[in-house]
Amino acid sequence: MTVLEQLKFFAKTQRTALVDRQETVSYRELDARSDAFARWLLDTLGEDRSPVVICGDKETGFLSCVFGALKAGRAYVPIDSVVPEDRAAQIVADVAPKVIVDFTGRELDAGAKVLAPADLEGIFAVPGSVPPESWVGPEDPAYILFTSGSTGRPKGVPITAGNLDAFCAGLLPWYPEEGGTVLHQVSYSFDVSGCAVYAGISRGMTLFTVDHRMAADLRELFGCLRESGLTLWVSTPSFAELCIQSGAFAQELIPHLRQFLFCGEVLTHTLCDALAERFPAAQVLNTYGPTEATVLVTAAEITDEMRKDSRPIPIGGAIDGVTLALGEPGREIAGEEETGELLILGPTVGPGYFGRPDLTEKAFFTHPESGLRGYRTGDLCYRKNGLYYYCGRVDNQLKLNGYRIEIEDVEANLQKLPNVQRAAVVPVRDADQKVQYLAAFLLLREADGLTSLKRSIQLKKQAAAYLPAYMIPRKLIVVESFPLNVNGKIDKKALAASLEEGAP
Amino acid sequence: MEQKIAEIVAELCGADVEEIEPELNLFEEGLLDSFAAIQLVMGLEEAFGVSLDPAALPRESIATPAAIAALIREKQG
Repeated sequence: MTVLEQLKFFAKTQRTALVDRQETVSYRELDARSDAFARWLLDTLGEDRSPVVICGDKETGFLSCVFGALKAGRAYVPIDSVVPEDRAAQIVADVAPKVIVDFTGRELDAGAKVLAPADLEGIFAVPGSVPPESWVGPEDPAYILFTSGSTGRPKGVPITAGNLDAFCAGLLPWYPEEGGTVLHQVSYSFDVSGCAVYAGISRGMTLFTVDHRMAADLRELFGCLRESGLTLWVSTPSFAELCIQSGAFAQELIPHLRQFLFCGEVLTHTLCDALAERFPAAQVLNTYGPTEATVLVTAAEITDEMRKDSRPIPIGGAIDGVTLALGEPGREIAGEEETGELLILGPTVGPGYFGRPDLTEKAFFTHPESGLRGYRTGDLCYRKNGLYYYCGRVDNQLKLNGYRIEIEDVEANLQKLPNVQRAAVVPVRDADQKVQYLAAFLLLREADGLTSLKRSIQLKKQAAAYLPAYMIPRKLIVVESFPLNVNGKIDKKALAASLEEGAP
Repeated sequence: MEQKIAEIVAELCGADVEEIEPELNLFEEGLLDSFAAIQLVMGLEEAFGVSLDPAALPRESIATPAAIAALIREKQG
C-alpha cells in the first residue's frame, strides 16, 4: 500500500509527521508506534480478521493506530467522539470488533478488548516489527466509514487499500512536490481527512492537527495557525466560511499558505471571491467525491474567469485514473450541458456497502462496455468544456455545513423521543440553494404544556442521545396534523412554504 | 436594543421572542452550535452596524442576551 511504503521511506528522514496541541511526532516515531501496535494486533488477534474500532477526536495516538491496523492487515473503523453512544453502539454491533481503541472513556459494551490511552502507551513502548506481507492487500478493506443511512441506522462504506492507492495516484499530481504542512482538521470519520492522512503522508507532509475544541475556538485556532507554517488548507467550504467571518483570516496570518483544497459540499462564489481578496497568493482547488468512490474524484483550480462566470463554481474534471459519465450505465449522455446522474468508473470505486448486498446492488455496477466497476452517485451534473457542474441530488440526501445527512435518518431518530409520534424534517436553503439549517415539524403524542423555547431545550437534549449535534434540527415546530399531498404523503413543500411565511 | 437582540436570538433557536430572557444561556441549553453562533454574530453586525470579530470574541460575550447587549453597547461606544 502506497501510504505505508511512503511512511517507511520518510521514517529514514528527519521529517515531522504530525503536530498537535500536545506533541510533535516524527515520521520515524509514527512508523515505530504503528509497527508496535501492528505487532500487538497480530499477536493478540491471531487469525481473527475483524476490524479495529477507534473512538476519538484527534488524539496524538489516533494516527499510529490507523497505520498500525493497516500494517496488521486489518481494517479500522473510526468513530468520532461527537457520535452519541446509541449510534456508536449500533456501529460496534454491526462491525463486531475484537479490539476497540477508545480515547473518549465512553462505556462501549461489546465483548471486545477495549484499549484506553494508558494501555496504548504500554503497547507503543514495546518495539515490534511487521513484515510487509502482513499489510492490507489491494483487495482488503482499509477502513469502513459509517454515514447517515435512510433507515435511521448508520450505513457502512468499506474502502480497500487498492482504492486508496488509486485515490493517492489521482490526487498527488495536484500537491506540491516538496511536501509542506497540511491542515488536518477534518474528522477521521469523514473521508476528506484522507487528503491529509493518505495523500499528505504519502508526500511526506506534516499534519497540522486541529481537534474539535480548537476548531470551535477561532482565537486559539488563529494563535496556532500563526506558528504552523501551513502550506495546504484542506476543509469543507463551511469551515473556511466560519473562519473568514474574522478579518484576521488572511495571508498575513498564514504567510506560507499556497493552496486551499475544498471538498464535501458546494463551494460558493462568495467564498472564492473572499479568498481571492484575503489570500491573493493562494490557489483554490475545488473537488468533489462520494465516500463510496474514495474521498474525491474531480478537481479544478478556480480561475478568475470561473469566479466571474454566472454559472456555479465547477467541481472540475476527473482526476487521473478516474472515468466519469452522465446518465444510465451503457446509455450515457454525450451532449454538452445536458444534465444527468453522475456515474463514477474505475479503481477508486469501492466494493459496496458493509453487509448490505441489497443496497450495493442498487448503487454499484459493472459497466457493460468497459467492464469497469461503477457507482451511481445520486448527484445530478452537467458537463461543459471538460468541466463538471453540480446541480443537486436525485434523493433526500443533503449536505449541511459539510456533513452528509439523510433526512429520513433524522426523522427516524426524532421519532425515538418519548413524546414524538411523527417527525417531518425539511431543509431551509438560502438564495444560493445552500442548506442553512434543518427544521423539524413534530406531531406530539400528548400536549406537553411547554412554551416553544422550553420544549426546544427539552427535545434537543433528548435528541442528543441519538443524533450528533449537526443532525439535530435548529427549529422544532409542533403541528396538530401534517398537510398531505395528492399521493397521501406528508407534503414537505407545504411545510417548507409555511416556514417562509413565518407562520407554521 | 434588547427587543432586537431577542428577535435575532429567537429566530436562531426557533423560539418565540417573548420567551427570550436576558439570562438565558444559549450554549448551556444546547440552543446554539458553532455555526449558529457565527450566524448570530453576523446578524448582530447587520442589525447594529457594529463590527464584531468572531476570532476576538470570548464565547461568554455572546452566551446570553444580556451579555450580547453589553457587548453591543461597548462596541457602539
